[in-house]
Parts: sequence; C-alpha cells; structure tokens
Amino acid sequence: MQNEGTSKPQKQKTSKAERRAIQEAQRAAKAAAKEAGGVKPSASSGGAVPALKQGKVAKPSSQRKDGPQVTAPVTSSEKKVVDRLPEKDRKKDVPHPRMQFDDKHRVEKAKRRAVVNQSEARSRVELFRHLPQYIRGTQLPDLESKFFQLDPIHPSVYKVGLQYLSGDISGGNARCIAMLLAFKEAIKDYSTPPEKALVRDLTAKIGSYVSFFIECRPLSISMGNAIKFLKSRIAKLPHTLSESEAKSSLQSDIDRFINEKIVIADKVIVRHAVTKIRDGDVLLTYGSSSVVEMIFLYALELGKHFRVVVVDSRPKLDGQALLCRLVAKGLNCTYTHINAISYIMHEVTRVFLGASSVLSNGTVYSRVGTACVAMAAHAFQVPVLVCCEAYKFHERVQLDSICSNELGDPDVISKVPGWKDLNHLDNWADNENLQLLNLTYDATPSDYVSMIITDYGMLPPTSVPVLVREYRREHLWI
Amino acid sequence: MDFQVVVLAGGTSKNLAPLVSKEVPKALLPVANRPVLSYVLELLEASNLKELIVVVEGEDAAFRVGGWISGAYVDRLHVEVAAVPEDVGTAGALRAVAHHLTANDVLIVSGDLVSDVPPGAVAATHRRHGAVVTTLLCYAPVSGPSDTGSSAGKDKVKKRRYNIVGLDPTRQLLLHIAAGAEVDKDIRVQKNMLRAVGQLEIRADLMDAHMYAFKRSVLQDVLDQKDAFHSIRQDVLPYLVKTQLRSEISANGLYKVEDNANGTVSSQNNLTWMSQHREIAPSAFQALLALSPRSPENVLRTHKCCAYIASKSKYCARLNSIQAFSDINRDVVGEASHLSGYSFSTQNNIIHPSAELGSKTTVGPQCMLAEGSQLGDKCSVKRSIIGRHCRIGSNVKIVNSVVMNHVTIEDGCLVQGSVICSNVHLQERVVLKDCQVGAGYVVTSGSEYKSEPLARK
Repeated sequence: MQNEGTSKPQKQKTSKAERRAIQEAQRAAKAAAKEAGGVKPSASSGGAVPALKQGKVAKPSSQRKDGPQVTAPVTSSEKKVVDRLPEKDRKKDVPHPRMQFDDKHRVEKAKRRAVVNQSEARSRVELFRHLPQYIRGTQLPDLESKFFQLDPIHPSVYKVGLQYLSGDISGGNARCIAMLLAFKEAIKDYSTPPEKALVRDLTAKIGSYVSFFIECRPLSISMGNAIKFLKSRIAKLPHTLSESEAKSSLQSDIDRFINEKIVIADKVIVRHAVTKIRDGDVLLTYGSSSVVEMIFLYALELGKHFRVVVVDSRPKLDGQALLCRLVAKGLNCTYTHINAISYIMHEVTRVFLGASSVLSNGTVYSRVGTACVAMAAHAFQVPVLVCCEAYKFHERVQLDSICSNELGDPDVISKVPGWKDLNHLDNWADNENLQLLNLTYDATPSDYVSMIITDYGMLPPTSVPVLVREYRREHLWI
Repeated sequence: MDFQVVVLAGGTSKNLAPLVSKEVPKALLPVANRPVLSYVLELLEASNLKELIVVVEGEDAAFRVGGWISGAYVDRLHVEVAAVPEDVGTAGALRAVAHHLTANDVLIVSGDLVSDVPPGAVAATHRRHGAVVTTLLCYAPVSGPSDTGSSAGKDKVKKRRYNIVGLDPTRQLLLHIAAGAEVDKDIRVQKNMLRAVGQLEIRADLMDAHMYAFKRSVLQDVLDQKDAFHSIRQDVLPYLVKTQLRSEISANGLYKVEDNANGTVSSQNNLTWMSQHREIAPSAFQALLALSPRSPENVLRTHKCCAYIASKSKYCARLNSIQAFSDINRDVVGEASHLSGYSFSTQNNIIHPSAELGSKTTVGPQCMLAEGSQLGDKCSVKRSIIGRHCRIGSNVKIVNSVVMNHVTIEDGCLVQGSVICSNVHLQERVVLKDCQVGAGYVVTSGSEYKSEPLARK
C-alpha cells in the first residue's frame, strides 16, 4: 500500500462503486497471479502484481464495468508483463481443432500465436459463428512474404502448407499422404538438440507443424488420425534406440502406414466394389473421389460394360477433372450438375460415393452435396455404396452438418467462371443484410446409405462402431 | 529454408557510359544518394537472408564493391564477393560461382534491381509448384513524363523494349518468353504446349525483373551442358521454358533417386504410388500430359517453369539504361519514396540539415539535397537530386536532373534533364539539356549542349 501512495500523482476521489470495482479487480488479479505464479518464481509474480495495481489505480474512472469484465483486460495486461511461457507449455494452448470461435478471448489468444495473419471475416453467418472464419485470399501473399523468416518450419512442411492454402492439394487421401511425406522429410532432417529427449522434442516439433497446417487449412479427419498414429509411434519408441535408428524406424512406420492403410486398402476396396458392378449398369458418382475413380477404371479393365454419370457442383467443380480422365480412358460418361439430380436419377442403377470420414453412428461425413445425392437416390430406391478406407473412421458422433464443418471462401460463390455479366453479387459485402456461406462438408445420415465398402469388407453403416471398437485404434492404424 | 542467394552486380556496363567509370562501377551508381546495390541488399536483409554471394565483373570493380559492402554492412550481412572476368555474361558469372552453390534452390537477383517485392514470394511460389525456375514479372514502367521525352530529337527513336510473355489461365505457369531482338519477328508457340493447357494468354505489358529462383541441380546441369549460353535472361530462361514438355535435363530433381540404400527402394515405390494416385499436386498441365498417348517414361520427363507476377502496388524497376536511371531517381524520391528510407519534410522533399540555401532559393517537392551542399541565391531546384558537398552558384536552375557529389556549378547555369557525375565543374552560363556529363569533366563557360554525352577522353 505504501508504494501506491507515493506513486499516485494526486488523490482521486473514487465513488463507492469504483472502489468496489477496484477491489474486485485486485482480488481477481491475485487469483490469476497465483495460478501463473506456479510457473514463474515468486519474485517476478510479486513484481507483476504491484505493477498491475498501479496500472489499475491510474485509471479508475474508466472502470465502471462489473467485476468479471474487468478481469478480462487484467489478464491480458498481465500476460504482457509475464514472460511468454516456454514452447512446450505454449503448445498446450494451441487451439484444438474443435475450438469454439465465438469466445472472443480464446480467439484473441489464438490470433496472437498465429503464424499466418488472419483477418476478420467481413460478415459472419450467425449460425456458423463457432467455426473458424478465415479469408484465405489475404493469407497466401502474407505467408509468401514471410517465407524466409519462418525458420523453425521445415521447407517441405512449408511447401505442403502453401499447397493446402492455395488449394493445389485437395481430397482426404492426397492431403494425408502429402502431410506424412512432409513429416518424413522433417524427421529425416531432424537432430535432437543437446540435453533434450528425442521423444518429447520430436513430439513438440510435430505439434508445431500441425498448428501450422491448421492455420493454413483446418485438418481433415484422415489427417487427424494419421497424426495420432504418428504421435503414438513416437511415444512408443524404445529408449534404447539411438537417434538414427529411431528416425529410420519412424520413417519406415510412415511408409508402412501409407502403404497398408491407403494404397493397399484402396486396392482391396476396388476388388470388393467391382463385384457389385454388373453389365449394363448406370453408375452415378458425385464430385471427384480417388477411390471411386479407381473402381471405375478397374471395372473397365475387367471388361464390364457400364455407363457413368458424373454429378458436379459449384463452386469447386471437381467433377470436371474426373470426367476428363474417365473419358480419356474410353468410358461412356454423362455430366450434369447437382440441380438436375432428380431428373437423372431414374436412369441410375447404383450410386458410388467417396467419403472424408464415416462416424460412429454411421453418418457419412463428405463433400457438401453428398447428402442430397444420397437422399435423391434413396427416394428412387437406388442403392448407395460409400467407399471409405478404414483409417478414416472416427469414434465421434455427429447429427447434423452445423456443429462441425469447414467454411470456405464466400467470394467464390458470387462469381461464376466464364460468365462475366453475372455480376449482381459483386458488392455483396456492402449489403448488411446479406451474408454468403460456403460450406465444405456435410453429413449424410446412415438411413440413406445402403452399404459401406472398406478394406475390412463390405458392411452396413450400423457396423462402423463395431469396427472402431473391435479393431481398436492400435489395429486400425498399425 | 534451403535457399542460397547470388547477386549479380555486373561491372562497367556500356549502356550507362559515361555515368560508369573505373571508379564507379555500375553497382555503386548512386540512386537518391545511395549506391543502387544497397537497395538489393536492404531488400534481402529485410527478408532475413543474411548470407549472400555477390558476383562482380572485373577485378577493380570487385575490389571497390567489396570495400563498400564491408564498410556499410559489416555486422548486418555476411557477403562473399566473387570477381569474374569481364564480358562473360550472367551465365558465365554463374558458372564461376557454381561450385559454391550447395543449397537445394538458388535465388538469383540482379544488382541493379530497385524494388520492394519480397523475395520470399518468388521463393514460395517456386517451392509450392516444385518448379525448375520461377521468374519475377512486373508491370513494365510507362515511359517518363513528356518534358524529357519532347526534347529527344526526331532522329533518336526510343525503342521501347518489349517482353512477350505467355502464361497459362491461372497466371502461374510460364509457357513462353521472348525478349529483345526476337520480339520483332514472329512469335512461335509450340502446339503441344497449347494442347496441354488449352488456353495461352500472351501479354506484352509484363517485364522480366531479373529475380529468379532456380533449382540448383538443374541450373548446374544446364550451365555445364550448354557452354554457349551467355545470358540467363536471353539463353537459359527461354531454353528451360521451351523444353518444359520434352525435358532433356537428365537430373530432373524431382525424380532423382537419392543415394541412401534404403531410400532407393522406398522412394521408387513412392513415385509409383504418386503417379498411380496422381495425388501430389497434379496441375491441369501435368494431368493432361498424362493423358496424351506417350510411353510412361516420357510422361515423367517434364518440368515446370513458373512466374510470379508482382502486384501493381509494388515498385519494381531495373537500372539498365540512362533513361531508367533518371526514372528510378525520380521515382525513389517521388512515388516509391518508401524505398529511399528517408523521411520527407513538409514540402515533400529531403533536405539535409547541413545543406545551405541562399536567399530566394526555392527547392521544389520531390527533391533531395545531401549533406554539405551549398546553393547560391535565386536558385531553383525542381524534381532533382543533388549529392554531397556540391557548390552551386546563384541563378542556377536545376530541373529534373541528377547531380552527384562534389560538383561545382557556377552562376547562371541551366541544367535540365541531365545527369552530372562527381567532381564535374560547370563554368558560368552553361546550358545542358538531356546531357550526361562523365566524372571529372569541365564544361567551359557559355557552352550549350543538347542530348550529348560528355566525357573526359
């Protein structure tokens, strides 16, 4: 109390409410300092608190707010006084991929740690406020100009991050493989710093790379599972191994994962699925799935006669690339957009869809529009077969597409490529009553799915939790 | 980030005579009273690239450049100055330092580039596409204002140097580049290139800014195999762009199998997986190539050349002619003033506190006066740059010019649109319009020169 008296320039007459507010603030500061004081030595936390007190006293008149709101600026100013926590502890504060983004303070914290500069969305759809709203157009030039200043990030990790940001790589399998190969390179060039354990340091490094990827583009479920696998392999490394042995063992683990869980799994799925294609079939697919394409090409090699209908949708229009590749191989194809799905469905005999993941209640989490296609097929009593590798399964349950999703760039919706005169939405941001929403994923309920084809066989959607439970994580991913 | 930087600082170029001389190589020509090389070095330092190799033609020039760099950047940058014989061209200069290059990629910057485009952007584009070469393209500068242009006589036809650049629809792949003399003849576009991308956009408003990112192995191969290549811009780059689809470079870095014994098997397998899956960033380019009826070996032998187009808000210019020299000087004090690093006074000019102005002397906006300069009475300085320790008499008019250090200008002179190098003495009532006066020259009183280079024999 003494130093406060001497430092105050003049005695300010504070009202009772203000004094109460100051008291609350000091109590809250003390509680917060006690928590943070566990990390720092007591001297500096003791030094932090009086500085706070001075800061708080100097502006009492502005603090007419209630206690809880006063604590928020207190904690933020305290953060500036206390030194930044070391890397390892900071890692725990990295925003979880399922972070809720309507909490302002968590968002502020996350922003301060961000490597990539994220600007606020111009207008946010209220229903989706809990999802990260990013404007990717400004991120890429910003990340590019910082290219040489981001030293702790390995070049191949950086390259893959840039490719995610710019949309060069898309699709669950492609993203997962690119990420694992980048990690393999990073592990190859890794060397343990002195006085640190390989296991912990490497895990921390991989964690930092993962946060970088998240900032470039939110993780897909396949990527999340692959990261869990890699971390568990690192944690299980025997301590007796030397560094080079550990590194080569990790690299061979990554190779084995890619080989067994993706490449060979795809081959098995293709073998199973081809048995469901008969001569004279009309097969429908939506968007561009790597597995479905392989199924069609293999069936063509086996000499089956069938037709393919490729359904596509704006804004990504991935179906066009698939169409080009199928036509080049000599398949008889029809191309249409999703608005015509009910007109074409009566010709179709089977529907093959790819998935980003299948959840525990049998819901298929896939590219937006898949649910529509599945529902239309169900209405016409056309069987829907979803092809998904087992490593993409996840034990969570999702009932709708709202609670967890990814938001894309809204500007892409307002422009139609090739039609320059359709410019009515050019200034959509100026209109306060208009918000554009570009969802990336949607959830297809299990009622619309007839069968799921995985590398463990062909199952009904209700069997997915059995698979996740019986062939537990260790088996699913190893 | 596994990048190495090489700055090609040239030597004494013929385009810029009489401004350059033995004492002042091209790299040390002052732009807004700072050597032009300092702009490149500041740009690289700002991007955290602290270890550079600077290549200079000629032993003397290398010595001077090295001396200046070690004086100015002693703690901030780690620079190795390499001297190469004169007239070997940029490709020859690179051949000389090729054995010093060890990183995966090399960033090559020309020492006469004045720009604020971050080199990280070029490097990031290079890595993202896995390209063999990435060039920086900027919008070509519009020619200078009319008061300099009008005085050029009818006999001096200013040839605008065009660059013809062909890009794909996404504006990231470089499909065709032609510069210099080739431009006047027909443009030949390869059919297979057109077939591969579908649409080719040809632009004449983009200029090659001479900042390249090369894959080191490819660069070394090209330089070794093609001894006749003289210049990067005119030989190496068009060669790489033309052979994109039928790559003759054997060390196609992407597909080179590393020596590690275990690695051999798995990386081969990797590649077969990738080509089966087409999952590593297949651009439309390569995917369409895969469709064309070729044997599998040919499909792999392609490489990509990318281009990064600098945004219009960035300034980018090269000092390769006298007109460019005047333009850049004007721009650095004018529109691109953030590059100069000085702070402007309220009248939008930079006057050093130790400069002395006589009575009734006006210094207009976008001017610069360096330390120790003295101006007499009733002078008028408009849009010009005056160097250090100049003695300028009364009734002198300096318009649109560049005056370097230690120049003496007597009373009554008129200097318009000219460049006056160091240690020049202009006697009374000299009129210079669009002239370039070399270092140490004495212009006799009362003479009038128009559009002439004056130099000491």
